Amino acid sequence: MGSFGITLTSGAVMAISIVAVVYVAVITLFGGYFARFNKNINDFFYSGNRFSWWLPAASMVATGIGSYSYLKYSEQGYNTGMSSTMTYLNDWFLAPFFIFGWLPIIYFARIKSVPEYFERRFNSAARYIALTIILAYMFFYIGYNLYTIGVALEGMFQVSQLWSVPILAAFLGAYVTFGGQTAVIFTDLFQGVMLYIAGFLAIFAGIYALGGFDDWWSYLPISHRLPFVHLSENPKFNSAGLFWGEALAGSIAFTFMNQGFLMRYLTIKSVHDGRKAAFFNVMVTLPVSAIIVGAIGWIGKSLVVKQAVTGGALAGYDFVDIENTFHTFIVVCWTTVHQNPWVFGFIVAALMAALMSTIDTLINACAAIGIYDLYKPLIMPEASDEHYLKAARWASIITTVIGTVLVIWFNTQKGSLMSIHYKGIMIIIPAIVTTIFMGAFWKRFNSIAACVSMLAGSLITVITVWFPSPIRPLSWFLSGPLDGDFIYFRALFGMIITAIIGFVVTMLTSGKEDKDVTGLTIDTLDKAMSDYKDGGIPNHEVGEKVHGLNFQEKADTEKDWIELSQGSMDLLEAKDGDIVYLSDSRWWLGGLRSYHMKAKTNPALSDEEVAMSKETFEEAYFLEKYTLVAEKII
Amino acid sequence: MDQQSASAYKWWLMVPLFLVFAFFFPRLLANSLGPDNPWTSYLYLYGFGFFYTGSGLLLVTKTGACNFNRQRDLFWFKIVVGGFFYFAALHAVWIYLGLSIPYLGGQ
Repeated sequence: MGSFGITLTSGAVMAISIVAVVYVAVITLFGGYFARFNKNINDFFYSGNRFSWWLPAASMVATGIGSYSYLKYSEQGYNTGMSSTMTYLNDWFLAPFFIFGWLPIIYFARIKSVPEYFERRFNSAARYIALTIILAYMFFYIGYNLYTIGVALEGMFQVSQLWSVPILAAFLGAYVTFGGQTAVIFTDLFQGVMLYIAGFLAIFAGIYALGGFDDWWSYLPISHRLPFVHLSENPKFNSAGLFWGEALAGSIAFTFMNQGFLMRYLTIKSVHDGRKAAFFNVMVTLPVSAIIVGAIGWIGKSLVVKQAVTGGALAGYDFVDIENTFHTFIVVCWTTVHQNPWVFGFIVAALMAALMSTIDTLINACAAIGIYDLYKPLIMPEASDEHYLKAARWASIITTVIGTVLVIWFNTQKGSLMSIHYKGIMIIIPAIVTTIFMGAFWKRFNSIAACVSMLAGSLITVITVWFPSPIRPLSWFLSGPLDGDFIYFRALFGMIITAIIGFVVTMLTSGKEDKDVTGLTIDTLDKAMSDYKDGGIPNHEVGEKVHGLNFQEKADTEKDWIELSQGSMDLLEAKDGDIVYLSDSRWWLGGLRSYHMKAKTNPALSDEEVAMSKETFEEAYFLEKYTLVAEKII
Repeated sequence: MDQQSASAYKWWLMVPLFLVFAFFFPRLLANSLGPDNPWTSYLYLYGFGFFYTGSGLLLVTKTGACNFNRQRDLFWFKIVVGGFFYFAALHAVWIYLGLSIPYLGGQ
């Protein structure tokens, strides 16, 4: 039984299925546990903005690797070698814009969603244009991930997508619906570990089969060892196009516009910790992930070359025959683990982990937009927290259903998985990423310009699908079939057109709008920080953390305020009214039990005491038997 | 022209500067090293990348988003600059090793 380049006995199918089903069930139960940490929709979607940097950062490992990643990048790694890492290793160029610009803006302005930013920065029309484009982007990813895993399961086990996709969607929809963002983060953390273990297991088996690291490198063609492909030779995968399409448009979309990633950053306790998470993501997570998803392709290439040089299969292994390069990951793994169904089942479970960890984030993100940008402002502006929490759960269910239905549309598309992916994304993102960029970094950019540039930029980009000749001047140096030329350069074209329209309209309509955008642009961050403190002066002095604080109940302390001794305040470098983050002393909880509060001095307290009301204490999920740690935020 | 307008126009001068760079830089690379040279892709990426990261750093410092009087901003500024050179060095070493270690596949 089986195709996808491998043959499975019914016993093997049974073993693989047991591992995969047990894995999915465990994750669903684990995620469901976190339902208890959701008292309101801020908890449900943003986990109360309480986490330490490492928890969301580590959970981003799994979020960034989709079910398509292993299949797509292994294929790319087999075809072009280590240049498959290019899309993962070119994100640093954005660092100044994100670390000093976009992250502080959304954090201090307490932005809940990108469309909300558009409303506050521009107007309602801009909000709903942005919302339409962002939902198209995210639903595209949800449908695409479900479709990819459906294709893989259908290929390996002949399980119809009609069954596999809805069943998988039901499992992951269940824990997102009940557990919210906290469940997403903790399951993604678990699944990230799972992905890395399975990935390194597959890599180790492959290197071992080859006879060691030296043999792998020595039998890898020189063109496959290089970190970059030819500048312009292959229209569908070239360094120039990847820079504009991936390093700029794609990375801006992922870090500035992807509501899922944005929400992950908004769960973090401070901008400083958010910067640490961004740093970790680009410096550690992305490079390691690039190896995990692409290495099987590099190993596959070396295996095939070594087989050709030595005249047959490697000793102790079946002959590796990769007829369809899309099957590279499955064929190489199956062969190098000696066709052990239990080990292979673990690797298939990793594929599912990649799917679940990406889609759960997107479902939660789409539901957040549904609540914050549609339901709350348009349908039910005034309702209780319980009502919105219930609505958020319904929004998660509806999102899951829409994503599942989209798989039908993906099945009607022609071309490889990679070309479907890039064609779709490179059409959707250029106009909105340019508009976000201009909005955040150019104060004069106004509402009319934002709306016109988003609409006209998107429309012109879509039109180039049928009339691509205007893109030719940008991609003049590429060769190959015409339709392939424009996968990435369409994104560059869309961004340039949108920027030109935005600039011209701003100049023509300048002075016709007098909207206060203070705190929403890069040059007004000081005011944003002050607003974040309810008008207080931002305190940027860097103090120390205060450990070992014992809770003292003080009924007359205002909610969301704490009182500390003079000694503790001095150590924190804090003044009365500063925002302080108080957390459970067990660091490994990552801030699951924590809270942001305003601090004031109480000379009557000792340096080991912190006073607050019982209500504040419970809001933070603190437990009396554990001491607390205080840290000044601003 | 008020101060805000003057400042905006000054920023938009970056655009023609970039267009000139974008026009000549790939041609310079193609004519000097040739499109087949592995270092051409490297220089293309880090040439445009330097322009992009550099303009970002300039923007955040000029607008006050990165303020060296804030202790942590100076730290993160150094990290951003260091990160750029870290990736550039990593890729350079990678290309060097790829080219210098013999291939046993027989081409």
